[in-house]
Amino acid sequence: MPNSKLFKYPEEIKDKFISTKGLKFKNGTTVSSAEIWEFMTEEAPRRFPYAFDANANNIGRFSDDVHFLSGIKRAYLTLTFKDRLLKEHAAGTPTVLVQGGQAMDAYYAAGAIPVRPGLVMQWAQSMEEGLNLRQSETRGINILESGRRKISIDACNQISAHAAIDNKVVPIDLIAPFLCLRCSDMAFLVETHRNREHDIPRYMVDYPVDHENKPWAAEYIEVELKELITKIAALSGRKITDEVIFDEIRLENRGRKIANEIAELWWNAENPPINSTDFFAIAFLANDFLGDPVASVDLLEQSKQEIEERVKNNVKGYGVPDDAKRLYICGSCVGPNAHHAETAGAVFVGRDDNWSCISVLVEEEGNPYLNIAKSMLEYPYEQRTEKRAEWTAEQVRRSRASGVIFMYQWGCNYQSGVARMISDIIREKTGVPTTFVEVGELGRSEATEQSTNRVEAFIEMV
Amino acid sequence: MGLKTLEKITAALTSRPAELEQLRKQGKKIVGWLAYNIPEEIIYALGLIPIRVGQGGDGRLVEVGARHISTKNCVFVRQVLGQFAEKTDPYIKQLDLVAIDATCIQLYRLEELINFYFDYKTVVLGVPRNFATKEGHEYFRKEVEHFTKKLELFAGVSLEQSKLQEAINIYDGIREAIKTLYSYQSKDNAPLSWRDVSAVINAGYNLDRLRYLELLQELIKEVEEKTSEPQENQAIEARVFLSGSLIPPGDTKLIDIIEQLGGRIVGDDLWSGLNFFLNLEIKEPTPFGVADAYLDRIPHASLPYLDLPTDGRLANLKHQIQQFNADGVIYHTLRYCDAFTFKAGETKDVLKNVPFLEIHTEYSGSDFEAIRTRVEAFVEMIKNKKEIAELV
Repeated sequence: MPNSKLFKYPEEIKDKFISTKGLKFKNGTTVSSAEIWEFMTEEAPRRFPYAFDANANNIGRFSDDVHFLSGIKRAYLTLTFKDRLLKEHAAGTPTVLVQGGQAMDAYYAAGAIPVRPGLVMQWAQSMEEGLNLRQSETRGINILESGRRKISIDACNQISAHAAIDNKVVPIDLIAPFLCLRCSDMAFLVETHRNREHDIPRYMVDYPVDHENKPWAAEYIEVELKELITKIAALSGRKITDEVIFDEIRLENRGRKIANEIAELWWNAENPPINSTDFFAIAFLANDFLGDPVASVDLLEQSKQEIEERVKNNVKGYGVPDDAKRLYICGSCVGPNAHHAETAGAVFVGRDDNWSCISVLVEEEGNPYLNIAKSMLEYPYEQRTEKRAEWTAEQVRRSRASGVIFMYQWGCNYQSGVARMISDIIREKTGVPTTFVEVGELGRSEATEQSTNRVEAFIEMV
Repeated sequence: MGLKTLEKITAALTSRPAELEQLRKQGKKIVGWLAYNIPEEIIYALGLIPIRVGQGGDGRLVEVGARHISTKNCVFVRQVLGQFAEKTDPYIKQLDLVAIDATCIQLYRLEELINFYFDYKTVVLGVPRNFATKEGHEYFRKEVEHFTKKLELFAGVSLEQSKLQEAINIYDGIREAIKTLYSYQSKDNAPLSWRDVSAVINAGYNLDRLRYLELLQELIKEVEEKTSEPQENQAIEARVFLSGSLIPPGDTKLIDIIEQLGGRIVGDDLWSGLNFFLNLEIKEPTPFGVADAYLDRIPHASLPYLDLPTDGRLANLKHQIQQFNADGVIYHTLRYCDAFTFKAGETKDVLKNVPFLEIHTEYSGSDFEAIRTRVEAFVEMIKNKKEIAELV
């Protein structure tokens, strides 16, 4: 893959951008839009050139819709992730390896920064600066393969995160994920750390399967959450009261609510107001919060205002094709390349994984531990497969999807195991064509033709 | 050694499907089960007939199963799914209910698929990953209680403590008998081969449990009567211990290779083998008592455990290797059986100087020669080492 040209934000949007609100952060500081602009146009392209690579295969490529100004701020949050984490870590904030797609309330409330495997990997890649896309990916693959050499070739790409921790590429203070149905590798990869030189403490919050109408499942998680928060608080030095946890729950609920409102706006709009990349980022932000829930919620609010304005004026997001085929995406960790899909005439209207996380609010009164436990057990994605598929079929209807792609990563035993069943149920319930695709390219921009071909062929068929 | 009781077991097994057919006509119900933590005692005590299902070693059935699941699932799961899809297995086609515990989550997925695609009634028993904690125990107690209630509804009877105690006594007897059969493997002139013991275990999953216990006791008696004194100047043998992923009935590839090359399997810590029968002591004939006993036995590798020095599974492995006087370990892993595969390197580290060979395989025959070469070198290495030790 040759080094393609680098993407640059055009100067003509600068004035408009810097006249918008900046971003508030949890430490009480505000970064102005002028500072964000300077970072995104001067500092970041120098430090992280790979992120600005305009190659369409670049799965992490920023949105082409430069007029959606919140999108630029989201890219800012992504590219400052490393600096913010290192700074907070140096100041005593513990960093915790967690599972993606789970409630982050407990971690943030206890004073930690939760980092999911995908973000650990990005963080590890960004620890060396000035790399172009190929160099950055090569660095990532080296870390990944060092993990596979130690553990197994059967491991999914998540092993990169564990290898980055083992190799001390990034400082993680606690390994404490939820174990759940989305991921087959997490439990066993956490276990591998017991045979390593480092002495990073470990804990697992078990997430019982088949938990419907079983109050003891939530009680079990409740006890574990108390243990988790105690462990984090011991590292952060934070005094944890119910009110501290409720404050965090209220903040994150606000983010989840805004993301849901945006989804409704988007789905009901005559023209999709933002493109697939920007749209998917909304739900992700409202679940992950990128190290700073205050900044993320602030950004979600700004995003909503912009989207409302676009819907009012019937503005279509840049990159969304005319008469776009509407695709709903299923599966964990990996998804089709949005740029390729849009070029082929489609737009992504939702994703079961991210939408599942934001679809359930945590109760804001009573026992906060039990409330978080109950909300997590309600995640549609973590239900029995038939129930999950029925919820997804409803999402397909609400989003007016005309096709469904279930994608899973090589090495994933749990999602792959139900890919066909979910696809079959959705097709039966909605009449919408479905397909499932296995890929092996998570974190790579090269040799992606096979999956691109399959996705494009499906779009053509739709 | 020709053992009449082995022939009797084979005969009982041959007639068992027809026997089950008759029992079903009389109103008896059959519960097929899979995994590691299903408390068979409860199924039996409710008057239901427990049958452990699932075979391996058949690449064709793997392909049949893969139509409904994916190639990223372990071959055992794929093959079992293939068996349910075809419904030609004499046991699977007679099942009235399938019980699966969630020790291995891939098997939990299997339960969802056979329920959805093949219309089998199913029941799931949740198993805590944090199995060593108080809250994990509490959770599992409630799960076993819930599981019992579901089975009671299915059977149309309530669980009686006396019936459960009877069942526990039978199963305790079976466990003791299997341990006795295994204990012969530590001897040089074992009256039964490991393969024989494995066949006896597999037969037991299908036979009536009381009848099976009687046969086991008869077998032990017969073996002890026929056991001879060890001969002197026996040939040097490579005593191989099997560890890792399960080796279910029908999967003989690795066993055949080891034996063809002159290795002698002397023991295992497989969940399809000896581990299943170890350290299970039900102190109280109640669902809670059963739950505690199951959770406190040797843990399955699918249940992660974060403290290496106190890992009961590894402690048992080390103990068994010594107990069976093994010369080396063949660690068998099925592709995409992450529970065991991810622990291969660690197990090697833990066993330190014990010769260790990992065989990562599937049910196809395409890797037969590659495995053969590796096992041959391993067996040769062990024998050479022993020969040199004798000379020195």
